[in-house]
Amino acid sequence: MSKLTLGPVLFNWPPEKWRDFYFRIADEAPVDVVYVGEAVCSKRAPFFDPVIPDVVERLEEAGKEVVFSTLALIMTEREMEGVRALTAPEAGLTVEANDISAAALLKGRPHVIGPFVNVYNEGTLSYLARQGAVRVCLPGELPRESIEVLAAGKTVDLEVQVFGRLPLAISARCYHARARGLTKDNCQYACGDDPDGMELETLASEAFVAVNGTQTLSFTCCNLAAEMNEMGVEYFRLSPQDTDMVAAARIFREILDGKESAEGADDRLADLVPDMPYSNGFYYGVEGTAFTDPESVSE
Amino acid sequence: MSATMELVCPAGTPASLRAAVDAGADAVYVGFRDETNARNFPGLNFSRGELADGVAYAHDRNVKVLVAINTFPKAGNPGPWMKAVDDAHEIGADAVILADIGVADYAARNHADLRRHLSVQASASNPEAIRFYAEAFGIKRVVLPRVLTVAEIAALNTQIPVETEVFVFGGLCVMAEGRCSLSSYITGISPNKEGVCSPASHVRYEEEGDVLVTKLGECTVNRFSAGEPAGYPTLCKGRFLVKGKPQYLFEEPTSLSVIHMLPELAEAGVTALKIEGRQRGRAYVAQVVAAFRKALDAVATGEPVSAEELATVTEGRRETAGVYKRDWR
Amino acid sequence: MKRSQPQTKRSQAQAGAPPLTPFLLAGLALRPVPPALLQPFLTFSMRAIERRHPSLFERLSGVEEPEFLIDPTDLPFAFLLSIDPLLPTLTAYTDAEGLEPTATIRGPLMTLVHLLEGRIDGDAMFFSRDLVIEGDTEAVVALRNAVDGAEIDVVEDVLAFLGPLGSPARIAFQVGAAIFSRAATDMETLRSALIAPALKRSEAQAAELKDLEDKVAGLSQEPRRGRRRMPVKKTKKTDTE
Repeated sequence: MSKLTLGPVLFNWPPEKWRDFYFRIADEAPVDVVYVGEAVCSKRAPFFDPVIPDVVERLEEAGKEVVFSTLALIMTEREMEGVRALTAPEAGLTVEANDISAAALLKGRPHVIGPFVNVYNEGTLSYLARQGAVRVCLPGELPRESIEVLAAGKTVDLEVQVFGRLPLAISARCYHARARGLTKDNCQYACGDDPDGMELETLASEAFVAVNGTQTLSFTCCNLAAEMNEMGVEYFRLSPQDTDMVAAARIFREILDGKESAEGADDRLADLVPDMPYSNGFYYGVEGTAFTDPESVSE
Repeated sequence: MSATMELVCPAGTPASLRAAVDAGADAVYVGFRDETNARNFPGLNFSRGELADGVAYAHDRNVKVLVAINTFPKAGNPGPWMKAVDDAHEIGADAVILADIGVADYAARNHADLRRHLSVQASASNPEAIRFYAEAFGIKRVVLPRVLTVAEIAALNTQIPVETEVFVFGGLCVMAEGRCSLSSYITGISPNKEGVCSPASHVRYEEEGDVLVTKLGECTVNRFSAGEPAGYPTLCKGRFLVKGKPQYLFEEPTSLSVIHMLPELAEAGVTALKIEGRQRGRAYVAQVVAAFRKALDAVATGEPVSAEELATVTEGRRETAGVYKRDWR
Repeated sequence: MKRSQPQTKRSQAQAGAPPLTPFLLAGLALRPVPPALLQPFLTFSMRAIERRHPSLFERLSGVEEPEFLIDPTDLPFAFLLSIDPLLPTLTAYTDAEGLEPTATIRGPLMTLVHLLEGRIDGDAMFFSRDLVIEGDTEAVVALRNAVDGAEIDVVEDVLAFLGPLGSPARIAFQVGAAIFSRAATDMETLRSALIAPALKRSEAQAAELKDLEDKVAGLSQEPRRGRRRMPVKKTKKTDTE
C-alpha cells in the first residue's frame, strides 16, 4: 500500500506559520507520515522547539505517524548533544537520521534513514537495515535504475521525494548571511526572508538554484507524478514549499489511487508553484534540471 | 612539541607519484583509472601495473601509497569497487581510502589486514559518525570534511579513537564533501557516482566580444571581461545574480592554503596533512610538496615557517584559510 | 627531527631538463627551415615518442581518436596532432582553415610549451587568457594529463631512438638527419633558455618571449608566404632501416 509522507519543512518560517502549517496538515492533508524537526541549521531550532509539542500532539491525534528529523550536518558539540537527546532510547521517538552519527546512535532500534545519508547501493542499504533501519528515503540524485535495483532486493521500505525543491548541497557556510555581507555567527536569520529559498540566477539571467541558509536546493520543483507508480517503492515524500501543501497532497493521493493522471497533476501543481519549473532529470539519469517526458524515454 | 605530522600528497600519474616521493612526501594517494575514485578525469590515474610500479618506487624510499576508492558504487554493480579493494590489497597498498558503507563493509570483511581510511567524501564531521566507522569497519584514520574550525578539530581529536587527516592546500570544496549534487544537477554527472565534479566534457568557453563566458552544460558559470583572469567553471566558484547583483555567493575562485597554520594543526592533534590535487600536474605536486616538507620540518624543530616557503606555494594565488577560521562560515 | 630533502638523480634531472614535447619542435621554426622539411622530423619524433611512451597514447584511449590543432599564434604554422592508437601523427600546416579538429589549443608558443611540459597544470591552464581552447574540453584535459604523465623529453627520446651518432639509422635518415642535427642544436639552445631558473618570474618570461618574438618576426619574412591552406607534404616512410 503506497503511502504519502510530508518531509520536514526545510525553510525558516516564522514559528506561528510553521505551527499553523502543521496543524492544517494534521487536520486536512491525506498524508500518512509527517516529518518534523530542523534538518538544515541548528540556529533555527530554538524558535520551533516551543511549538513542537503542540504540533506533534495534533498530528498524532489525526492518526499521522510522526518522525523527528535530525540535522543533516553536525559540526559542533551543541549540535551533537541535540542529536544525542533526540535519539536517546528514553526519549522514545521515531527518528529520521540525516547524518550517519544519528543512525549509529539509533543502532538496534527501528529508525528511518533520511535523504542526506548516502545510500547509493544494496551494500549500504543492507548494512543500514541490519542496524535497524526500517525505512530509507533515498538521495535525490539516484536514477531510476538504482531505485529499481534497491527496490527489487530490499529488506526495508524505501521512500523517494516526488515533489518540492530537491536538496542539492549542505555547507558549513551560510549563504543567506553571505548575501548580506554577514557570517553564520551573526546571520540575523537572513534566511527567514525567503520562505521558499532565495533564488539565484546565472549571469545570463537564467534560473539556477535556491539557497536556504547553509543549504542549496534545486531552483526547479521535483515532480515525479508520472513516475511514482512505476518505482516499486512504497513511500513518496512531498517536501514542503510555501504553498498549499494540503492541495498538493490531495493531488498526489489521487495519483496513487489512480484517480488523476500525471498530466492532470502537472496542470494542477502548476497553480501551486507557478514560478518553479518542474524537473525529473535525476530520475532519468540526466541533468537534474531537466524535465523529461516519460513517453520519450525508452525502457 | 607534537610529533611530526605525516604529509599526504596527491598523484594523478606515475610521474606525479615519483615527483611527490622525491619532493618529500610521507605518503602518496592515488586512484585507479575508473569511476571508483573521486578524480575520475580523462587521461588521469593509474592502471594496475602502474600502481604496482608506483608502490615499489615509494616503498623503496619508505613512502606509503594510499589508494582512494571513494565514490559510491552504483546499485547492482558493486564489482568494480570490490575489485579495486582486492587489487589495492594484492598490489600492496598501505591503505585504502573509502567513502561508501557497503565498500567499507566489504573491505573489513574480506581484507582485515588492509588498513582502512575514511575518505572526506564520507562527510564524517562529528565524534559519533567517526566512532561508527571506527567500530563498524575498523577505520584507522578519518579525513575530515572541510567544515570544521581548528578549535573544533582539537575538540574532536579528544573524543575519537582514530587518527585525523586534514586538508592543508589546494582546491577547496565549499559544500560538505560527498553531499553535493550541484554538478549532477547541471550536467547529470556526479562526484559521488561518476567521480567527477564539473566535468570537462560539459565545459565551454565562449567569446562574446571581449568577454569570455565560461559555461558548464547550459549554465553560465561566469563572465570575464578583458584582462580578468578566467577560471575553470566549477559551479560553487561561479558568479551568480543574488537579487539581481552579481556575487561569488558560495566562494571566490580561491584555493585553500594553511601552510602558516601548521603549528596550530599539530597542537590540535592532527596526524596527517593532505594536499589536494590529483588532477594537477607533476610540477605542481613537486613544488607544493617540497614547500610543505620544508615547512613541516621547520615546525617539527620548533622553527618558524619561513616566508620563502609561504611564497613558493602562494605566489600569484588567491587563497583562504577556509573554514579553519570561524569567520569563513 | 630534520628531514633532509630527498634529491635523487631523477628529480634533479626533472628539475634541470623540462620534458620537451613535440611542440618544442616549433623551435625549428626559429630557423628559416622550409616547412616541408619539417615534416619528416615531426613524423620521426612521433615514432620515437610512441615507442618510448606508450602510456601517453594509452591515457588518451578514452577519447575517440582525437585530433588536436596546436596553434602557436606567434609561429607561422600550426600542428595537427592525431591520436590514432596505431599511428599517431603530427602534421604541420601553414594554414589550418578547413581542418575539423576535436579541439584547438591556441596561444603563444611559450604558453603552449609550458602547458605541454606540465608547467601549467590542469587547473591553471584555464586561468590564462593567453590560452584559447575551442572544441572538446574533455579531450584537452585528457591530452594535458597524458602528456604530463608521460614525461616526454623530445631531445632525449629522439636521440635514444636514433642510436649512437653515426649509426646506420642516423645516416639513413638523409634529409631528416641534416635537419635533425641542426634542430637538436636549436632545441638545446631553446631548452637552455627555457629551463633557466628564472622561468617562474614573469619578467624573465617576458624577456624570453620578446626574444622569441623577435626571432619569429624575422622568420615570418621567410618563404612560407603564399602557401596558405596547404598541409605540409607528409613523408610516408620515416623508419628507413
